[in-house]
Amino acid sequence: MEKIKILLVDDEKEFVETLSERIRMRDHDSDVALNGEDALKRIDDDLPDVVVLDLKMPGIDGMEVLKRIRSAYPDVQVIMLTGHGSDKDEKEARKLGAFEYLQKPVEIDTLMKKIKKAYKQKFEDSMMAATFAEAGEFDTAKDILESEEENNSEDDTEKDKDK
Amino acid sequence: MSNKEIEFIGKITAGVTHEINNVLASIKEISGLLEDLISMSSNESFPYKEKFMNAIPKIQEQVKRGVNLTTQLNKFSHLTDKPKADIELNEFLTHLVFLTERFARIKNIELLLIPSDERIQISTLPISLQMVVYNCVASLLYGSSAGGKIIIQSAINNENYLISIKYDGEVPDNKKLLDDMSVAEELKILEKTISELDGNIQMDTTSNSIILSFNNN
Repeated sequence: MEKIKILLVDDEKEFVETLSERIRMRDHDSDVALNGEDALKRIDDDLPDVVVLDLKMPGIDGMEVLKRIRSAYPDVQVIMLTGHGSDKDEKEARKLGAFEYLQKPVEIDTLMKKIKKAYKQKFEDSMMAATFAEAGEFDTAKDILESEEENNSEDDTEKDKDK
Repeated sequence: MSNKEIEFIGKITAGVTHEINNVLASIKEISGLLEDLISMSSNESFPYKEKFMNAIPKIQEQVKRGVNLTTQLNKFSHLTDKPKADIELNEFLTHLVFLTERFARIKNIELLLIPSDERIQISTLPISLQMVVYNCVASLLYGSSAGGKIIIQSAINNENYLISIKYDGEVPDNKKLLDDMSVAEELKILEKTISELDGNIQMDTTSNSIILSFNNN
């Protein structure tokens, strides 16, 4: 089993450090950031595979961190983990490219399953990007994501027309 | 109470429930870590292993209960976000039954919701409606006997939606359950709120039932 590099971002120190320890006990790499600024710096220094991100934090909030991660590092998958998030928050997070949106607290087995799934997705995205880049149609994974977003918005427009 | 005051109470409650949820999430992770560590140790190296492994799920069960309560309370606090809101009546009543269940449990009364088969979308003043239905349930609980049940039903009828609340069980001393309520000062306040919700209340003291009917236009 490949080691997944995970970054946990949450301002609840006790919670996030304990969760990180439990993830490391499951043979994955786990690091902790206690706020959005620190998270972005850590991602810059050492790119994780998956980020588990709280929504409400002091300073840059989770939604903004998500936006910046997906824009600068589209290969990194983000799982939102928040307490009492609204349907509106979930919709917005998914629109911004969150891989999954979970309510806190979560069973460790459920979280690990989602992290593995997100990692698989990251791998598939990278493979697809490489294939297209080889064919000369796309340059980077970011181009693919942007292209997918354009296609999705075209689909949405078509659907709207059909209504 | 003004809308601003209600909104303020809602905001504070939402913030506190969020914090309590964080506390519960930490307890869950810490007990989970203990479980991980203890399960890796042998019976010889940790003589109380079995006792600990039995106790940890109990902590986690209580955390689950706490999370459920804070989630429902958080949901309740968000009813105050806007005075008027679009809601689905059956979900709304499910939420209300959860919040009211404790009062019924203390009196050993079962609170049962029979939702309509169809979804009922309404536009209402959620806090006012919650208060009206709660008061009706409370008035039936007041004179009820242990072992009975209170049944809440929802229905839609042309332009009206209906909520019926009925007590099914014994009434002590053959007293008519709703008599106290029908003369009570609270009824006047309740009727005023119901009228603001564009509805009316019908009470049947023989069958111990209350029917609330609201215009849904």
